[in-house]
Amino acid sequence: MSTHGTTGRFQREELVGKYLTFALGNEEYSVPVLKVREIIKIMDITAVPQVPQYVKGVVNLRGKVIPVVDLRLKFGFPAQDYTERTCIIVVEVALANGARMMGIIVDHVSEVLNVTGEQIEQTPEFGDEIQTDYMKGIAKVQGQVKILLDLDRVLGVDGTIAMPQPSAA
Amino acid sequence: MTTRKSSSKPRAAKPKAKPRVAAKAKASAPKAKKKTPKATPTVSVAPAPVAPEPVIEAPEPVTASVAAPIAAIADFVVDDDTELAVVQSDAELANLFIAEALDHLGTIEQKLLELDERPEDTSLLNDIFRPFHTVKGNASALGIVSVERVAHKVENLLDLARSGRIQVGAEEVDLVLRSVDVLSLMINDVGLRLAGQPRTVTGAEAASLVQQVERQMAGQLEGGGADTAPALDAADPVLVADPVEDETPAAPATGDQPGFEQDRRGATPSRRRDDVPMLGGTATAIKVDTRKLDNIVDVVGELIVVQSLIAQDPALSALVDGRLARNMAQLRRLTADLQRNSMALRMVPIRQAFQKVARVVRDQSRKAGKPIDLVITGEDTELDRKMVEEITDPLMHMARNSVDHGIEPPDAREATGKPARATVSLSAYYQGSHVIIEVKDDGAGLNTERILESARRKGLIAPDANPSPEDIHRLIFEPGFSTAAKVTEVSGRGVGMDVVRRNIESLRGRVDIRTEQGHGTTFLVRLPLTLAVLDGLLVRVGSERCVLPAAAVRESLRPKPEHVHFVQGQPRMVQVRESVLPLVSLGALLGMGAAAALDPSAATVVVVEEGGSRIGLVVEELLHKQEVVVKSLGDSFASVRGVAGGAILGDGRIGLILDPHGIVTMVREGSRRAA
Repeated sequence: MSTHGTTGRFQREELVGKYLTFALGNEEYSVPVLKVREIIKIMDITAVPQVPQYVKGVVNLRGKVIPVVDLRLKFGFPAQDYTERTCIIVVEVALANGARMMGIIVDHVSEVLNVTGEQIEQTPEFGDEIQTDYMKGIAKVQGQVKILLDLDRVLGVDGTIAMPQPSAA
Repeated sequence: MTTRKSSSKPRAAKPKAKPRVAAKAKASAPKAKKKTPKATPTVSVAPAPVAPEPVIEAPEPVTASVAAPIAAIADFVVDDDTELAVVQSDAELANLFIAEALDHLGTIEQKLLELDERPEDTSLLNDIFRPFHTVKGNASALGIVSVERVAHKVENLLDLARSGRIQVGAEEVDLVLRSVDVLSLMINDVGLRLAGQPRTVTGAEAASLVQQVERQMAGQLEGGGADTAPALDAADPVLVADPVEDETPAAPATGDQPGFEQDRRGATPSRRRDDVPMLGGTATAIKVDTRKLDNIVDVVGELIVVQSLIAQDPALSALVDGRLARNMAQLRRLTADLQRNSMALRMVPIRQAFQKVARVVRDQSRKAGKPIDLVITGEDTELDRKMVEEITDPLMHMARNSVDHGIEPPDAREATGKPARATVSLSAYYQGSHVIIEVKDDGAGLNTERILESARRKGLIAPDANPSPEDIHRLIFEPGFSTAAKVTEVSGRGVGMDVVRRNIESLRGRVDIRTEQGHGTTFLVRLPLTLAVLDGLLVRVGSERCVLPAAAVRESLRPKPEHVHFVQGQPRMVQVRESVLPLVSLGALLGMGAAAALDPSAATVVVVEEGGSRIGLVVEELLHKQEVVVKSLGDSFASVRGVAGGAILGDGRIGLILDPHGIVTMVREGSRRAA
């Protein structure tokens, strides 16, 4: 594995902690538990015009209007019907003008993991066809690789939901 | 940093603990009492005032320091870092100070405008002096030296005026108004710097202001009589720091001292008396961070939604139980009551906006040499706070237009038999669930022919069109009508009136004109009471439900097949009585639902009017009218056009609130692109 990965932005110590892991297809991703506000079952989403396809629209979370992004579509997975296990993870994202709650749709939620320093590795360089700047690193847990997501990057730092086009995974 | 370099004994180091006490205990009468005994004549001789307390106190520092050090520009530019450090050490307190000071400056401005009308009313001088003194005191207590210095100088001027030693005329009022501007800038700057932004205000303006104040004082005092003879060296245009230390006692210690004293004694109780309502006011009114209010309104909005969710729950409505029904009804009443009350929290009087307009009218009338009486009524009319903020600029704009273009010069007025003094009136009142604001002048009125002529020239209307006078007058709100200064002069009106209209419409209001040639013009602004609740019409578009603001909807109809006209195989026009309107499928426009051509004669056409143009929107179904709580979709969707926000509907889902302005613009641009 390369030691000078593009995600050298993060110190290993910063990444240590608890993560909520979830599945997209056969891949396992994770976000810091501290960023997660709640997990809700998939619900009716009100579509909003003129947004990228992966922005599914808005939902009402107890009176708050929250944008929802389908992470499958965002990462270039083929679309798939929502099932009983499909979840919306409500996360807090730092935008240009403050924190904002957003929902991400995932295939299913797996578990909460305690990721230790030894398990963390820098994101390897995959070459050009895969964008890695929204990965903070990877964690190898029990032989499985979990991708540590940088939510602030995934969900748009510039305050809009316009995001870099995902490359096919 | 100290205020006075050359001062002597009584100036103790500022107690560290003072700011906190000061700001919290402002306007506390007992404090003032404690201070009063000091206000003996001896103090007036002492050259150096004690560090001013932010409490209401006897004015001894002021009387003594008429001749305090004189401005050098350096005094106002150097203290940057020290000041900032002081302020940062207690940011919370500093923010409190900023909010309060700006509040006070607002009061001062208002009183100044009154003073301008009634210069003989000396109680107004007291009303101006008092908040000024508080601002100065608080600034000093916090260590914001630059503000304190400027305030101090102006306070001196005010005190001299209060004691009748100088006359207050337009010039003085101008000067103090300017100082209010400068101080506002400086105080805002403190806030900005506190938030980590670079300093934007240099001391130069403050220094020049202070010099001018000194000149004004000196000029008046010198002209005033022998008793003030040794006053200031201040006729000298460039003032050097510090020439006056030994002269300081001279001014107050001269012949008119007894009278002066008496006056002060007279003034003190009267200020006390004025304080009573203020204290009473603090007992019944508190300052609350607006975010907290917004949170309450938010939560109450959620409560309403949940309440209606429960009430409509099929499981619950299946139960037939008298007690439950009664309790549910009670709950509904209470939540509705709570909502009304929480909405009322956000309501503020429109006074603040009117005051700014008053200032504009005054300045503009002076500049244009047109004497004007400003009549204000209904300034207590309450509106949503945000609305008051947003409407201020358009109102100022309309008032400026009235003074600049509507009102004739005095000689022209007299020639037509009108009084040379023009009248501009500003009024606000309720009408149903709306507030009407009128800006009215008794000037020349709009010149219909000229507007028509220049609109034709600009190509805003067809050369052979024959619009009604009302339609012609509305042309001044057209973008492009007023961009060129030349046109403005010819037409007489309209600098950026399109912006005015747009701003008002973005508040879901509308503006109308009433004008009579030779007799004046009235702008009528009609605004909803609040932005938080919207009267909406629920329509179905594809699988989504959307809310159209009821204010923009003219009618809805199911057109007969022969009234739908096709262009290139698509239904593109609908005939509604005499007029033919463009027909747009809402679903297709927003990219929602079936984009396939919906047969308008099988669907519903909602006629929406925006900015004078009407379009027919094809929707699947017209559901019902509903009052909805408006929620922002957030910055993430800021660039989405045609959508103004979201509303939580009865079943808990979100319905998009459509923005008629955006939709009409999209349609217009679409057809332009196609053309």
